[in-house]
Amino acid sequence: MIRSYFKKRPHLVYIMPAIVILGALTIIPTIFLYGLSLTNYELGYPTFDFVWLENYMRLFTGKDAEFWYSVSISLGFMLVTTAIELLLGFWLAVLLDREFKLKFLVFACMIVPVAMTPSITGQIWKLMMNAEYGVLNYFLQFFGGKVIWLSGENAFWSTVLVDVWQNTPFVALIIYAGMRSLPSDPYEAAAIDGAGKLQVFRNITMPLLWPMILLAVIFRAIDSLKTFDIPYSLTQGGPGSTTEFLSLHVYRLGFAGTGWIGRSAAVSVVLLVLTTVISMVLIRLYRKGVENKG
Amino acid sequence: MNPLGNKKVGATTAILLLLVCVFCVFPFLWMLIISLKTGTQTYDPAIWFFTPTMDNFRAVFEDRHAMDYLKNSAIVVLLTTLISIFLGGLAAYGFARFEFKKKENRAFWVLSLRMLPPMASVIPIFVMASMLGLLDTHLVLVICYMLFNIPFTIWMMRSFFEEIPVALEEAAFVDGASRFQVFVKIILPLATPGLIATAIFCIINSWNEFVFALFLTSADASTLPTTVTLFLSVSGVAWGEMSAIGIVTILPVLLFAMVVQKYMIRGLTFGGVK
Repeated sequence: MIRSYFKKRPHLVYIMPAIVILGALTIIPTIFLYGLSLTNYELGYPTFDFVWLENYMRLFTGKDAEFWYSVSISLGFMLVTTAIELLLGFWLAVLLDREFKLKFLVFACMIVPVAMTPSITGQIWKLMMNAEYGVLNYFLQFFGGKVIWLSGENAFWSTVLVDVWQNTPFVALIIYAGMRSLPSDPYEAAAIDGAGKLQVFRNITMPLLWPMILLAVIFRAIDSLKTFDIPYSLTQGGPGSTTEFLSLHVYRLGFAGTGWIGRSAAVSVVLLVLTTVISMVLIRLYRKGVENKG
Repeated sequence: MNPLGNKKVGATTAILLLLVCVFCVFPFLWMLIISLKTGTQTYDPAIWFFTPTMDNFRAVFEDRHAMDYLKNSAIVVLLTTLISIFLGGLAAYGFARFEFKKKENRAFWVLSLRMLPPMASVIPIFVMASMLGLLDTHLVLVICYMLFNIPFTIWMMRSFFEEIPVALEEAAFVDGASRFQVFVKIILPLATPGLIATAIFCIINSWNEFVFALFLTSADASTLPTTVTLFLSVSGVAWGEMSAIGIVTILPVLLFAMVVQKYMIRGLTFGGVK
């Protein structure tokens, strides 16, 4: 019975082990997470009760004002960093899309931010952004300026800057690869028809590059929505809670100090739903683009 | 062969590219500089020329147990990479060479796991691991890292397998080889560069992972990225030691990244862009 089942589906022998492990590793914790979010489980207390939807009621009736603040800055951070990284990355790709001898060196430099451990990135920038001993203010003083980089006002934008530093080369590399693989036929046809530069860009380049751009957007949007490493080591969510992104809010509720696992589980369910919805929409768009092309 | 027109590198472009390079590398260099300064020098960014000291490196290895972190990182990264390459490689072959129902849906389900916020998995895993007594062990990190390494390996290796001509396999089938023999004797040797590149990307990603390591370990199994917790308070931070351990953490990944430079774009996009 079992033998013939596998004989008819020879692919199962290959894909089953990985799929079973991945399924177990995602489905069991997710169910457990939903369960936890319905309790008032606290770290260090042996007993807990089911409080059902109380944790969610607290979030959605506005009793937890910090939660909505976290949601808004997380979404804002996602939009801002993705937009900036896309524009800068595109510009950088255009710069790179020409022949010169030292190109390999530029690539080698661009790989440094891409490969750098994000938590250490936050740390380096904390060092450089220090108001008194930081090298950024040392440079700025030559122009007569001084910025308190990690003050309440500036901390959000400083975090954006660090994220842009780390991830723009990633976007640039993807779009550059896309530009390199553009076919030359449509451009020749356009030249014969006498199309203008802007027309060529809008009607030929953009549609051909679209899948690459979308791919870069998928990775950047999702990763910046769930950002944790950089703000954790750069600002700790502070000062106050000005840079307390959703992940950091989960961390502070559940682990740092309070230990309200139940409540932080509810917040991370919201984070999970947000990322799932956004990634589903983006992946669907991407699949449509790729499958239409092929 | 450049459809966007033949562009030359003018002076402006050259300067801009130079600035980009400096901007990308400077933070790393600055950390290196600080790590070679003495305590008082680290508080003065105007000092550019000084006699480098290895005191900070000595301090992190002697007082901050950098060696233990390094060892933990190496153990976790190696084990998770080996297991992920084995399981993911098999599955990748399945996706590359067989036709079955809902194949693409399954493949994209695998991809969507990459999008899961670790912050959502880590809470239940923390509670479950503490019930099972697995907190602060290498094992729990090895298991968690499979969560992103297996999907990555599947997508990456699939793109490498699909580049190998099917005709090679068919010839072997005619000679009477079984599917598995073909996989081991023909496909794997041909895909070795891809396997190595994929393994190195798994190493880089696991080495850099922070959320799971922060929550699930506390002393015995802590990996290098968690050392940032040693230097969180802003007042009285030992900048020199902080930089030294940062350099110890990022140097291996930077070297590995330079090795796989050729496959960088492919690795960053899960095999999506070649």
